[in-house]
Amino acid sequence: MKTIEIIVGPTGESRLETWGFQGSECREASRFLEAALGQHTSETLTAEFHASEITQQNQIEQKE
Amino acid sequence: MSHVVTIETEVRDVTAIRQATRRLQLPEPTFGEVRLFNDRKRGWAIQLRDWRYPVVADVTTGRLDYDNYNGHWGSQKELDQFLQRYAVERATIEARKQGHTAIEQSLPDGSIKLVIQVGG
Repeated sequence: MKTIEIIVGPTGESRLETWGFQGSECREASRFLEAALGQHTSETLTAEFHASEITQQNQIEQKE
Repeated sequence: MSHVVTIETEVRDVTAIRQATRRLQLPEPTFGEVRLFNDRKRGWAIQLRDWRYPVVADVTTGRLDYDNYNGHWGSQKELDQFLQRYAVERATIEARKQGHTAIEQSLPDGSIKLVIQVGG
C-alpha cells in the first residue's frame, strides 16, 4: 500500500516520509503536501529509493 | 520507505487557520490591521490563549508577526500548539482535495501523526 506519513512535532515542524512507492514516484506523490506545508529544511533519499532507481536503470540497460 | 523530508511550517492558508483555531477553541481569526506593542501589522489576527497581543499571519508570505515580550506576554507553547494544529489541518485539507484518506493519531511525545493513504 502506498502511504505518506507526516509527523508534526510539538513545535509545528513536519517530518514527511513516503512508503511503498517506486523510485522517484514518491517525490511526485508527496510534492503537493510539501508545497502546502512550507519550506524544506532537509531531504534524504533512503536505500529503498536508490535500490528501485538502480533496478529501473538495469531494466533500461537490459532493453538496449 | 523511499524519502524523508523535513519541513518548516509556513502559515499561508486561511481555511486551515480557521480550522486550527476552531479545534483549539480559540476565537475566530479576523482580517485587518492589528496593533502589537509598538507596531502595526496587517493580516489575519489569531488570538492565542492568555496572549496580550494577537499573532498576525501574512498569508502571502507565510510570515507570522507577534510581540510576546520573550514569553512574558504570551507563552511560546501556545504558539507552537497553533503551528502544529495548523500543519495537521493544512495537510488533511490537501490530502482530501486529492481524494486521499487521512487518519490522525496523537503520539506520546506530543507529536501528531497523519497517515495518508494514496490510491492507485
